[in-house]
Amino acid sequence: MTCAEFQQVLPEMLEGDRNTEHAAHLASCSACSDLISDLKAISEAARQLRALDEPSPRVWNSLEIELRREGLIRQPQREPALVPSRARRPWAWMVPVAAVLLVGFGIIVYQRGSDQQAEMAKNQAPVAPAVAVLPASNVSPSHRSDDDRQLLEAVGTRSPETRAQYAVDLNHVNAYIQDAEQSAQSDPNDEDAQQSLLNAYDQRAMLYQMALDRSLP
Amino acid sequence: MQRLNGGAKLVSAVVLSGAVLLAAETRKEFHFTVGARPTVSVTNQYGSVSVKPATANQVTVTAILRSDKVEIDKGQSGNRVDLLSHLLDGANAENGRVDYELAVPSDASVILSSTSGPLRAEGLHGDVTLEGANTNVDVREISDAHVHVKTLNGPITLTNIRDGHVEITSVSGNITLHSVSGPHVQVNSNSGWIRYDGDFGYGGEYYLSSHTGDIDATAPQDASIDITARSVRGKVENDFPLQPKHTPFVVKAGSAFAGTMNRAASSVKLFSFSGKIHLKKR
Repeated sequence: MTCAEFQQVLPEMLEGDRNTEHAAHLASCSACSDLISDLKAISEAARQLRALDEPSPRVWNSLEIELRREGLIRQPQREPALVPSRARRPWAWMVPVAAVLLVGFGIIVYQRGSDQQAEMAKNQAPVAPAVAVLPASNVSPSHRSDDDRQLLEAVGTRSPETRAQYAVDLNHVNAYIQDAEQSAQSDPNDEDAQQSLLNAYDQRAMLYQMALDRSLP
Repeated sequence: MQRLNGGAKLVSAVVLSGAVLLAAETRKEFHFTVGARPTVSVTNQYGSVSVKPATANQVTVTAILRSDKVEIDKGQSGNRVDLLSHLLDGANAENGRVDYELAVPSDASVILSSTSGPLRAEGLHGDVTLEGANTNVDVREISDAHVHVKTLNGPITLTNIRDGHVEITSVSGNITLHSVSGPHVQVNSNSGWIRYDGDFGYGGEYYLSSHTGDIDATAPQDASIDITARSVRGKVENDFPLQPKHTPFVVKAGSAFAGTMNRAASSVKLFSFSGKIHLKKR
């Protein structure tokens, strides 16, 4: 058997379909033997990658809770089972659809935000460069309060205590942002103020993420 | 006799209700065989998660479920193990509680999240990521790893973290760092206080900041630091004699100080808007 003939039957070989002729060629030819080893390593790595791409159960759970809340799915009538599998999720086809919708919604929001920013930039006097580069500093307090109100309404459906706790935390975070913004505006070269502004927005983002994470009540 | 009967009934009722609760409680144990440096994640709504090191290449999970209103979704994808407390209809903070105890290989990376239960990880040298809303966090004996903690409320304690890349963000949780050192230690609090007790290592960057929370840093006399401390509206105190250094801001006595100690190997920045800052001598 030549190397060319051997390579023609590689796919079958990799699937385990191997006869004595193949084995004899492999034993005598180091090039083909190395090729088989490499292909097996690549195949194994690809399998590992596929496994890593699988979203965590938390993602599935959040989607399921949201879809159930929307009435799109109902609680399955089954004995509690432990292993989550795609077969157990008849609504799994909705995930890519939901993802596409979310991406579309994100693009619309982004474009609208960009338009608003451009409009604001036209109307506003130029600001100090160091402040202008901060990503969230153009979110006005009124926008923040609207967002906060909606967030508190959302968490308020869980319990009044949860709502109260989030309200207190939001007040803390917004006060932090306000102080950091004032400091950054009064001295655009103040690195500590710039860093604090980023930290304050980081806290705000964290708070929103935790509040809206449906797998956390 | 009648009183005795009444007492006996009461005791019986208590025993019976306890028995019912115990009967509803379920203990489950899972085992996963993993390779080197596995990733283990636990997402729990109500209840604690505790992770300890194990010697074998195996993840062992012991879970106590309080009722049948919660189940555990578990899965293994290659070298990753995921566990999730899955609340069913009618679940609440009491009957939806699950307490986890995990034994993982010491090189495992763990990702733990819980809304209200305590999170604890110890004895690992893989990355540790902990996240929770009203959550007590206790991390100890971690080396050569990233330790990332995010909480809204609840105290956070880190003890004996060596060569760590540490990032902590909390809104109102008090944060205690005891013997924490590494190339990067960043703590960002809002109203909670920050207490650091350690030597600031050798050659790291330490940035502790708050909005209104006080910051106390305690260090030995031989600490090798280049330090800047500033509070916009709060007071600042320093127990060490520092060598003066240049700062990009005007140093006002009582609200800021800056200087170096020994070989100034580590950079330390303490910043607050209205919290008090105190650099203490151990």
